[in-house]
Amino acid sequence: MSSDDSNEPPAEGLGGPAPEERPRPEGRRNSQGIRIDPEVEAERPPRRTTITALVQNQPGVLSKVSGLFSRRQYNIESLTVGTTQEPEWSRITVVVEEPEPNIDQIEKQLDKLVPVIHTRELDDDAVTRELVLVKLEAEEPDKVHAITEMYDGRTLDAGPRTITVELTGSERKIDDALDALRQFGVREIARTGQTALARGETKTSVVPDRLQP
Amino acid sequence: MSSERAVTRDEGGEADEPTEKRDEAPTRERDDPVSTGAESVVRALENAGVSHLFGVQGGAIMPVYDALYDSSMRHVTMAHEQGAVHAADAYGIVSGDPGICMATSGPGATNLVTGIADADMDSDPVVALTGQVPTDFVGSDAFQETDTTGVTRPITKENYFATDADDVGDTVGEAFAMAKRGRQGPTLVDLPKDVTNADTDREPGRARTPDTYRPPETADETSVTAAADAFADADRPVILAGGGVIKANASDRLREFAKEHEVPVVTTMPGIGAFPEDHELSLKWAGMHGTGYANMALTMTDCMLAVGTRFDDRLTGGVETFAPDAEIIHVDIDPAEISKNVEADYGLVGDAKAVLAQLGAGVNRSPDAAEWREQVAEWKREYPLDYHIDEDGPVKPQFVVEAVDAATEDDTVVTTGVGQHQMWACQYWTYTEPRTWVSSHGLGTMGYGLPAAIGARFAADDEQSVVCFDGDGSFLMTCQELTVAVREELDITVFVLNNEFIGMVRQWQDGFFEGRRMASEYNWMPQFDVLAEAFGATGFRIDEYDEVEEVVESALDHDGPAVVDVHIDPEEDVFPMVPSGGDNGLFALQGDHL
Repeated sequence: MSSDDSNEPPAEGLGGPAPEERPRPEGRRNSQGIRIDPEVEAERPPRRTTITALVQNQPGVLSKVSGLFSRRQYNIESLTVGTTQEPEWSRITVVVEEPEPNIDQIEKQLDKLVPVIHTRELDDDAVTRELVLVKLEAEEPDKVHAITEMYDGRTLDAGPRTITVELTGSERKIDDALDALRQFGVREIARTGQTALARGETKTSVVPDRLQP
Repeated sequence: MSSERAVTRDEGGEADEPTEKRDEAPTRERDDPVSTGAESVVRALENAGVSHLFGVQGGAIMPVYDALYDSSMRHVTMAHEQGAVHAADAYGIVSGDPGICMATSGPGATNLVTGIADADMDSDPVVALTGQVPTDFVGSDAFQETDTTGVTRPITKENYFATDADDVGDTVGEAFAMAKRGRQGPTLVDLPKDVTNADTDREPGRARTPDTYRPPETADETSVTAAADAFADADRPVILAGGGVIKANASDRLREFAKEHEVPVVTTMPGIGAFPEDHELSLKWAGMHGTGYANMALTMTDCMLAVGTRFDDRLTGGVETFAPDAEIIHVDIDPAEISKNVEADYGLVGDAKAVLAQLGAGVNRSPDAAEWREQVAEWKREYPLDYHIDEDGPVKPQFVVEAVDAATEDDTVVTTGVGQHQMWACQYWTYTEPRTWVSSHGLGTMGYGLPAAIGARFAADDEQSVVCFDGDGSFLMTCQELTVAVREELDITVFVLNNEFIGMVRQWQDGFFEGRRMASEYNWMPQFDVLAEAFGATGFRIDEYDEVEEVVESALDHDGPAVVDVHIDPEEDVFPMVPSGGDNGLFALQGDHL
């Protein structure tokens, strides 16, 4: 403490060189906390990828997973859940579009959830499929059938006013098919979102022995 | 490590050992059988070694309270559930064992929410037990029904909805083990009244974490070796010790390591006490109101060994300018903290105590850093914590903190609320021991201080003093807990640093809102010394410098709860200061323009 006759604060701050006279570091980080060459790199751009998680069937597990994404502001493109080869397990498949550090964070944060058995980002060559149901106006049924077949789809319901068709495939293929079908008048669409398995011998999820059913 | 080593009182790794700081011996194992779910809940807590609980009664939790009637565990009835959870939180910090709080359903449970969120942000071990309406009523919007597990899911490490009286004791045991093991945090068990009322003769098993939960212990050796080399090669090394060092009981190991290699140590705020602040290598703590020399060291370092910290924004300021020349060695038990906010060049995932032992063995030469130490010493001379005194003017809060520090022992436990008084209490007090600094960091919960002092009092040794620094705004938020301190005859001393402002907001309004002091003036405050007397505590008041020493002595000497209403300089600001998102190296000093 310093005693002073007046209670006026000093004009130049209390002690030490002012900010502009202090030593300065040479480097810089970006807003993601990554050390960068300020002249070369800005931020890492977002990329689209598929994350798969094998989870134990427990009350609240889906709420935990979806809550994690909303709480940390990660963009979910799609999220699917379904049963697996074991009745006590479910698989959650999430498609996200995020920059690199966030994709790493998503995996780690998912891993922290107690019911999560294993989580990973799938490789680009993973087998992925999505299913869509499209209800169309039935004014030109023959053309609808033709285009549906062109995309390996099936007609599930055909009535006097509507036709409902099913298409499965990659997200890209479904987007293309929907573009082609739109001309007939789309009434409603339901998409499942993407589900996926790793290709060939690669394991989608690795389950430690102690957690085998 | 095998799941069988999961938290139990009678076996397990070092990190799992209960801290022997209780003022009562753990409850003996009882041989009378349990007969209801509620008794099983109580038995699980007894088996886990719990000696104290903090809570408030209510309809849906009544069966559990009834079962407590026959237990030797001590239940402390608080005035408000928020008081219960803060007391449990502080109990957890000081003792190292999870603090237990209880509340009924609905408002009881929602009143816990702030304190649970606080414990979650600071990774404090807390177990919350909440009553719930009977299972048949769940979902019907019954009286005092709230979706407690839904509400607390994002702010608990794990939470549980009990469905079966046979399992409820094991669930409570698991909640206890989860709160304590790995990265600590709050857990909650929601207890429907029919489950606690139901018959069961199932004795709960040992408290253990589930098989899917595997906190890491030691770090990958290859990474340790690489990090050790980087550390030894550093020219400007610094250690950043976070709250995880204290949580892992790794302070001794950190001290040895730092002293052996003569590396300056900065702590985070939760890390205060991990390294003795009176040691020449200590730079106290860094961040928004940290010391100038700690912030200079973090800004200019070329190698930072960061242990048990999550690089909170109040520590880093803008990450763009945080230690931008540094290779960062980040030791943390939670892999998700590595490279979350600041990229780690070396991520060492493991228990802080275990990894510091690995690094201790791996670093076989000290960094050549004599020049750097000289530079750091110069910053300490250039930027001491300092303030101006006018002996005829109003009392400066910093002077009061220094006076209380001088009048108490080194092992005194200090609790605080949140705001300016909190910053002065950690700037002008010299902390030397872990588990003596008890505060709300990440959540910044005003009102934390008094209930925390109550919880800390039960966890601390009888010889240890417990002091609370509070602000007038903070104190007013939970001052009803004085009734607990009076009833329980707790020897705690509260210093209300009263500036009749919600002072930190006033400081920001002056700095960033052109002095427009909207809703920050608290000139309608009660006389806190008189208020204390109304509760049955003893009140003191300080208005002048020449009263400080004598009143501080009297209040500390007083056996039982005492409240000192300290009328401080209302215009005093907290410096140094790094504006939110700013550059730590450009901290402002008193008199600088913000």
